[in-house]
Amino acid sequence: MFCLSEIEHTLRLPPHLLNLPLAEAIKGELEGLFLDKVIAKLGLCISVYDIRSIDGGFIFPGDGASTYTVKFRLLMFRPFLGEVISARLKESSSTGLRLSLGFFDDIYIPRALLPSPSHDEPDPEDKNQVRWIWEFNEQNYPIDGMDEIRFRVHSIQYPSLPLEQDDGSKPFAPMLITGSLDADGLGPIAWWV
Amino acid sequence: MKILQEYAGALTNFEVLDFLRSRGAGKDPTRLIAGIAPSEYKVYDYLEQTAASTQTRDIAIEFVQKCKEYNLAKAEILNILNIRPSCEAALYPIIEDWDIRFSVEEGKEEEELGLLKTICQVLPPPPSVMESGEGIGVEEEDNPDEQQKKAVE
Repeated sequence: MFCLSEIEHTLRLPPHLLNLPLAEAIKGELEGLFLDKVIAKLGLCISVYDIRSIDGGFIFPGDGASTYTVKFRLLMFRPFLGEVISARLKESSSTGLRLSLGFFDDIYIPRALLPSPSHDEPDPEDKNQVRWIWEFNEQNYPIDGMDEIRFRVHSIQYPSLPLEQDDGSKPFAPMLITGSLDADGLGPIAWWV
Repeated sequence: MKILQEYAGALTNFEVLDFLRSRGAGKDPTRLIAGIAPSEYKVYDYLEQTAASTQTRDIAIEFVQKCKEYNLAKAEILNILNIRPSCEAALYPIIEDWDIRFSVEEGKEEEELGLLKTICQVLPPPPSVMESGEGIGVEEEDNPDEQQKKAVE
């Protein structure tokens, strides 16, 4: 699920941080810049793992702050294709399921990748939501929100920023994971234990 | 910003948890004093619920040693460490070409159950299982997958 990526970045250290030790100040700046942000092709940045080298310290004319070239490693959340992950159900609609990991919510299981055959029925508790039921050997196995759900990563997309957005539409998701439940051992854990 | 190395190594869940704990994630009840951001706390909360929270570095090294006899790919070992499957069915999506490598015939069945036993013996169960006090041994499964296997045979 997690991997390291090595990045080099040139950053300007604001003068009000001059009282801190250099490594700390730079780490703070990097965290402000990268933490909880998605970098295309690399994934969601979880944490600054370590700083490899700090170079520079030049002061450009007309500027009060010094500029450093820093090489560091970031801890990224980027599952590989085919990885099996446990998540919780967030939403369930007629187009499929949406799962959440707590720190990452844009995991979608489209209708086509649910175990076949399955059908949906209106959820008795919530009018807007739909409950999915898998039929197997004459028995019905529902997907409800109680259990942890295991899914396999099918693909990861990084859609580019939209130019315009209507009000009221879903907030833009820079990283989308599509998952599949279509294999033995996937789905709510209660089905298999 | 320049990307020097897109992929500088994979980390298992417990290594990430270890890294967060070493920075003081678990020790601070207020969550304000330790230098850890709220987004990192969300990752910490998620990992605490998984099997990774009960593992240690020694357990992981021991498990990788014992897995050498099964010829598992690195991705499969990573998946097993993260998920800690406790029954056969949970292993199916993780291991590729299950039928070819661990076919359920006379003699080879030993290997398939052997891997499961190694998992259950070496890796501690996830937190929710430990609370309910379930056993760690390989249990008899009565699940739809078993029925499907019997039907195919």
